[in-house]
Amino acid sequence: MRVKSTLVLFPILCLILLLAPILLGLVSTWLPAFGYMPVIGATHFSLSYFNALFQHPAFTASVTSTLVSGIGATVLSLALAFWVIMHLYGTRSWAFLQKSLSPLLAMPHAAFAIGIALLISPSGWLLRIISPDITGFDSPPDWLILKDPKGYSLLFVLVLKETPFLILMILSALNQIKFRETFWVGSSLGYSSIRIWSRLVIPQLMPKLRLPILAVAAYSLSVVDISLIVGPSAPPTFAVLINRWFNDPDVSMRLLGSAGAVVLFLIVALVLLSILIIEQLLAKTTASNLVNGSRRSIISTLRPLAYGLNYSLSIIGIVCLAVLIIWSFTQVWRFPDALPSAYSLKYWAKSWPNLVDLSITSVTIALASTLISAIIVVGCLEFEVWAKRNGQSINHQRVLLLNYLPLLIPQIAFIFGVQVLLLWAHVEGTWFSMVWSHLIFVLPYVFLTLSGVYRGYDQRFYDVALTLSGSKWKSFYQIKLPMLLKPLLYSTAIGCSVSLAQYLPTLFAGAGRFSTVTTETVNLASGSDRRVMAVYALWQFAIPLIIFALAIGLPNRIFKDRVAMKS
Amino acid sequence: MSLLINHLKISINGKSLFPEVHMEITKGNIQTLMGPSGCGKSTILAAISGTLSTNFSIAGEIFLDDLPLMNLPTEERQVGILFQDDLLFPHFNVCQNLMFALPQNISKKVKLSRIFQALESAGLQGFDKRDIATLSGGQRARISMLRALLAEPKAILLDEPFSKLDAELKLSFREFVFNKIKEMNIPALLVSHDRADCYGDQYFDLQTGQFKQC
Repeated sequence: MRVKSTLVLFPILCLILLLAPILLGLVSTWLPAFGYMPVIGATHFSLSYFNALFQHPAFTASVTSTLVSGIGATVLSLALAFWVIMHLYGTRSWAFLQKSLSPLLAMPHAAFAIGIALLISPSGWLLRIISPDITGFDSPPDWLILKDPKGYSLLFVLVLKETPFLILMILSALNQIKFRETFWVGSSLGYSSIRIWSRLVIPQLMPKLRLPILAVAAYSLSVVDISLIVGPSAPPTFAVLINRWFNDPDVSMRLLGSAGAVVLFLIVALVLLSILIIEQLLAKTTASNLVNGSRRSIISTLRPLAYGLNYSLSIIGIVCLAVLIIWSFTQVWRFPDALPSAYSLKYWAKSWPNLVDLSITSVTIALASTLISAIIVVGCLEFEVWAKRNGQSINHQRVLLLNYLPLLIPQIAFIFGVQVLLLWAHVEGTWFSMVWSHLIFVLPYVFLTLSGVYRGYDQRFYDVALTLSGSKWKSFYQIKLPMLLKPLLYSTAIGCSVSLAQYLPTLFAGAGRFSTVTTETVNLASGSDRRVMAVYALWQFAIPLIIFALAIGLPNRIFKDRVAMKS
Repeated sequence: MSLLINHLKISINGKSLFPEVHMEITKGNIQTLMGPSGCGKSTILAAISGTLSTNFSIAGEIFLDDLPLMNLPTEERQVGILFQDDLLFPHFNVCQNLMFALPQNISKKVKLSRIFQALESAGLQGFDKRDIATLSGGQRARISMLRALLAEPKAILLDEPFSKLDAELKLSFREFVFNKIKEMNIPALLVSHDRADCYGDQYFDLQTGQFKQC
């Protein structure tokens, strides 16, 4: 007889919350693409919007810059992440990198893009530092560093942001294989460190990195907020162009936007499929090389380059933060002065009342969506424990894939459909719609960060508590939950930072009634005063930082006398 | 008060783990169960405590004071467990670990008095406020045993609780555990690899399904 538990409701709820908006959102986006959107009087199915899309003057350039920045960023950040790890893992330089990567990882994409823009633009800090002594410039040169038509500046920013993420993913994957033993065996057989990585470690890592790589590719091909700040503008990347059509005052443009969303979805699907095929081909074609006995690699001699890259990655996050701080307190900063000639709190004081309002909205949505996600994730993981004990097996790969789904499908490809649904249900622009639309993206991150530790919990503690207290509930909330408080709060902080960084879901589900720190920061980035822009970007970075500090500090405070809880 | 294991057979995928087990452990007695690794010793304990995965099929009955245990959830069986790891809760201090085991419906004053009494009986007076990470292996083992007994179980299962201790500590802790069980006057089932742990004249050999001389 198969035993049942009410815990089964959690995975069902998780499935509904994740899959339903994506599938219904896709359908509700695809129908208008084929000319069917009764609410604006379009009731005849037709392919004319696809024709209009392909003939649109911006289409080719827009797709080209999308492909250049999206594919380029994925390939380069993966190569750089491996390059750094292969050369530096375990060295003193590596320890430095690990510490200094945190600000880069924690910084929201929009704030980071603004920081980079303030750094590398023709009137940016870098050029100010070396001008006029080295460059001879007394005024900013007329260079097209940012917003170049091919999307190289966007590619550059994406690489800087995605490389640390992939390094983190590689580190997490290393914990899942017998890395140290593999290294010992490889070394004892006379293989150099680079050869051990390329012949023994990377082939083991690739299957575990597949989903994060695909997620990076999908994100880079469809990102909107960073593209608005540093991406090309005439025409913009494809996702930005679609977003512009969706928000056009002429409602018939939504049909063109929908056709664009369908095409972007197919482009992303095609790129992801190509990555999978290339991975298989590479694995097959290099299989014989893996055992050809070559012990040394010429790449080993290029180690100094890896050190340079390592320090550049580490420093860039810190410099970005520094330039935002300086600009936010600037009163007067003339080109080519290396530093402002007058400082002021004026722009903080001016922005503060609005920032408080925006922060309340942002944090409320973030906390609500994260708390609901955390409850659902804990429920799902408890169901796994129960299922395991009751002889039912859970396919972890399938669970993982489900969680990655919202990260593999471009937001713009289904978020319009979600908006249509919300409108149909008369809940558009409500707290419910805001929390729900954020939850779609928060839940996967909470699951991915919590599941490993939760699954590794020694269930015997709970069993002992059960025999001692005679209560399931007491054993759960007095023993298991406090023991897992640290990872729980950490994944909650991750969830909050994901929600705080959301741009499109706020824009579409909010129906203009909700503004968050992120939407305001991105809006300001297109041509506002640099000082105001820096204040907002810095604050966008500060909120998740405060939440992370609380998430890390709180358990340390609660368990300050418990040595075992600090490990 | 007795623990009756009545013609118990446990199998997985149709394959029996061990010959049929039949034994009765009377109050204050400790029955030792021995056998090589992987023969199912801990599986029997899991079946008695109610933590066995349903991947296993169980035939036979287990009674505690004539109460059939098989259909009861773990929390209602009133069976204590002591593992080879002490499994003290790391977020609690010594006093909180012990207090967790006491019933809710008694006053805090009574709870504290029982805890102090228990600590004194184990030679651990003054340890109540200590963080468990600061205790030695022997002290942790004794706290773990006290915790199991403070819940007033009607039987106790000992899953190789002495195996991780060094020789000297093992001897004193074994004596401590055996004395406590006698004092509590409850049946106990001890699983072990080591013949020196054997209590009484005979042990149950799980591989052959027979009682043998220690």
